Amino acid sequence: MAQQTVGQQLIITAIPVLPALVFVVLALFGRYIKEGAQYIAIFGVATSLVFSGFALYFVARNGVPLEFAVNWIDLGESGSFQMGVYIDGLAAVMLVVVCFVSLMIQLYSGAFMQDDPRFAWYYAVLNLFTASMLGLVLAPNFIELYVFWELVGLCSYLLIGHWFEKPSAANAALKAFIVTRIGDAALFVGIIMFWRATGTTSFQGISEAAQAGFIGGSLFTASVVLVFVGAIGKSAQFPLHVWLPDAMEGPTPVSALIHAATMVAAGVYLVARTYDIFVQSPAAMLVVAYIGGFTALMAATMALVKSDIKRVIAYSTVSQLGYMMLALGIGAYTEGFFHLYNHAFFKALLFLGAGSIIYAMDSYNVFDMGGLRHRMPVTFWTMMIAGLSLSGIFPLAGFWSKDAIVAAAFVEHFYVLFGMALLTVFLTAFYIYRAIFLAFMGEPRTEGAREAVESPGIMTGPMVILAFLSVVSGWVGIPEGFGLPIRDYFAEFVAPSEFAAETLALEPPSFSFIMAVLSVVVGLGGIALAYLIYVSRPELATAQAYRFSFLYTFLDKGWYFDALYERLFVRPAMAIGRFVREFDWRVLGGLVSGIGRGFVGAGERLRPLQTGGAQNYALFILVGVLVLGVIVSGQYTFLVVALIAVVGLAAVAVGARL
Amino acid sequence: MDTLNATIPLEGYLVVGAIMFAIGAWGALVRRNAVVVFMCIELMLNAINLSLVAFADYLPEAGGAGVGYAVLGIAVAAAEVAVGLAVVLAVYRTRKTVNVDEVNLMKG
Repeated sequence: MAQQTVGQQLIITAIPVLPALVFVVLALFGRYIKEGAQYIAIFGVATSLVFSGFALYFVARNGVPLEFAVNWIDLGESGSFQMGVYIDGLAAVMLVVVCFVSLMIQLYSGAFMQDDPRFAWYYAVLNLFTASMLGLVLAPNFIELYVFWELVGLCSYLLIGHWFEKPSAANAALKAFIVTRIGDAALFVGIIMFWRATGTTSFQGISEAAQAGFIGGSLFTASVVLVFVGAIGKSAQFPLHVWLPDAMEGPTPVSALIHAATMVAAGVYLVARTYDIFVQSPAAMLVVAYIGGFTALMAATMALVKSDIKRVIAYSTVSQLGYMMLALGIGAYTEGFFHLYNHAFFKALLFLGAGSIIYAMDSYNVFDMGGLRHRMPVTFWTMMIAGLSLSGIFPLAGFWSKDAIVAAAFVEHFYVLFGMALLTVFLTAFYIYRAIFLAFMGEPRTEGAREAVESPGIMTGPMVILAFLSVVSGWVGIPEGFGLPIRDYFAEFVAPSEFAAETLALEPPSFSFIMAVLSVVVGLGGIALAYLIYVSRPELATAQAYRFSFLYTFLDKGWYFDALYERLFVRPAMAIGRFVREFDWRVLGGLVSGIGRGFVGAGERLRPLQTGGAQNYALFILVGVLVLGVIVSGQYTFLVVALIAVVGLAAVAVGARL
Repeated sequence: MDTLNATIPLEGYLVVGAIMFAIGAWGALVRRNAVVVFMCIELMLNAINLSLVAFADYLPEAGGAGVGYAVLGIAVAAAEVAVGLAVVLAVYRTRKTVNVDEVNLMKG
C-alpha cells in the first residue's frame, strides 16, 4: 500500500466533495444567487479538475495506486463497510475526464440556459451529478460504489426532467429512472451475493476470494452477470437501452454530460473497475462481449433513419458504448477504456454542437435545417471534426481507440464480433454524416435555418476546446507498432492488472496496418455514401425511404422495442396496479368501513338500553352482581336463589310497567 | 355468655336481613315515587347493617369489626338521605314531580 501524506488525502477527498458543496450552497441559496450560480459552480468544478490533475500526477509519479479508507459501518464480528478511495491509472484518467467535460458543459450552459427559471437549481443538480460520478470513480468497494451509482441515477432523473412542465420530459425522466432501476436492482442482488459468499465488498477482496475459491462455479458466474446487468442498465445496453433516446428531453448540455462523462460511462467504468472479477468467469466475459457487439450494431441501425439530431447522437452513444463493452468482453481492457476516454470528448462536442444549432433555430429536426455551414461556421467545423473522430478516421482521436478495438476482435479470433464491429464502423460514419450533411449542406429548408446565427463565444469556446481534444486526445495512446518514436503512454498507464492479463492469456497488442487501413476505408465509405445520397442526390434518399418503407419504419421505431416493452411489461404492470388499487378500495377498504358500519349499527340497536331511568340501571347493576356472584361463589346457593327470586320479581315488575 | 342471644341461630338474622333486602330492592326497582325509593334504599342498607351486626355477634374473634361497619353504614345512610332528599327537592322545583319515570333526560 502506497504511503500518502495527509495533504494528498485531503486533495483527493476534495475532488468529489467540492462539487457536492457547490450543490448544497446552490440548492439552499440558489434563489438569491440566481445567475451568479454559474460562477460558483464553475469555480468548484475547475478546482476539482486541478485536484484531479494532482491525483493523476501522484499516480503517474508513484506508479502505484493511491488508497485509503475509514470505517463507515462497523458490524463487529461480521466485518465492516468502509468508505475509502482507490485511485489507479483508470480512476485517475476518469477523474480528469469527468471534471473536464463537466467544466466545459457548465461553461456552455451559462449561455444555453440563460433564461431558464430554475437556473441555479439546474447548476446545483449538475454539480451533484458531477460529485456523484467522481465519488463513483473513487470507490474502492461495491457498497460505496452503489451509493454513488444511485445518486447518479437520481441526478439523471432530475436533469432529464428539468423541464418537467412538458409531459414528455416528465415521462422520459420516469422512464430513465425506472429502466435503470431494473439494472440497479440486479446489481444490488449481485453485490449481496458476493458479500454473502466472500464476506467483503471490496473489489480487490472479492477478486482475491474468488481466486482462492471462496466463490465459484455457477454462483460466481451468476453474480458477475448480475453486476453486469447493472452496467447494462446504466450504460443503456441491449435490452435496457430504451431509456437513453428518450432522455433527449432534457436540456442539451445535460445530454452531453450524461453521454460523455457521467451516467452511461458509469456502466463501462464498473466493468473496467471490477475487471479482475470479470476475467475469472469466461462465460460472463462472453456475455459482455456479445451484448456489447449486438448493441453496437443494433443502435447504429436505429440511428440511420432518425430525423431528430439529438436522437441520432443518442443512438450513436448507445452504439459506441456497445463498442466499449465489446472491447472489455474480449479482453481488450485498455482499448475499451481508451475508447471511453476519447468518446467523452467527441460525444460531448457533438451534443454541444447540436445544442448550438437548437439554440440558433429552435428545432431538433434535421429536415428543418440545411445550409447552416455558412450561417454557423464554428459549429459546422467542430461538428465535422467530431464526426470524423466518431467515424474513426486517421489520425483523429476516435481512430486510435476504435481501430484498436476492431483489430483486437480480429486478433482474439472473435470473427463474428469483428464483422459486427466493422459493419458498425460503416453505419456509424454513414448516420453521423447523414445528420451533419442534412443540417449543414444544401439549401436552408425553413425560415429558421435561413436566419440562424452563430452561438455566442461562451458556447463556441468550449466547443473549440473539445474539437481540439477530439483531434489530439488519442495521441497519448498511439501504439508502439505504428512506427512513431513515442511511447504508448495510455496503455502503460491504464493496463489490465497482471492477474487479468495472465488469466486471459492475451496476445500482446500489435498494430496492424491492414486493419487500420480497412477500418479507415470502411469509415470513409460510410461518409462517401452519406455524401452521395444526401448532398449529391437528395431526392434519392426519399425514394429509398419510400421503397424500403417497412424497414424504414422498423428502424425508426427502434426495432419496436418500445412497443414490445409496452405490451410485455408496462401494460401488465399497469394492470397489476389497477388490480391492487381495486383490491385496496373494495376488499381492504370495504373490510375497514364494514367493521365501522357494524359497530355503528350495533350501537343503534343497543341505544334503547340507555333509557335514562335510574331504576333500569339499578336493575342492570343487580343482574350484573348476581351473575358475578353465581360465577364466583356457586356454593352460596341459598343466597343466590333468594336474590335471583328478588331480581326475577323486580324484572317482571319493571317489565310490566315498561 | 359468648353471644348476646344464643337461642336464635345466625341463620335467623340472615334470613330476616335477606327478606328486608329483597323487599328494599323490589321497592327501589318498582316504585315510582322518589321518596319511597329512598325509603326502600334505607331498608336495604339496614338489612345489610343487621347482617353485619349478626356476624359481629357470631364471630367475636373479629373484635367487633362488623359493628364498626354497621356504624359506618348508618353514617353513610344519613349522608345519603341528606343529599338524596336535596336532589329530590331540586327535581321537584324544576319539574313539579317526584315520579322517577318522568326523570329521564339521559335517555339515549
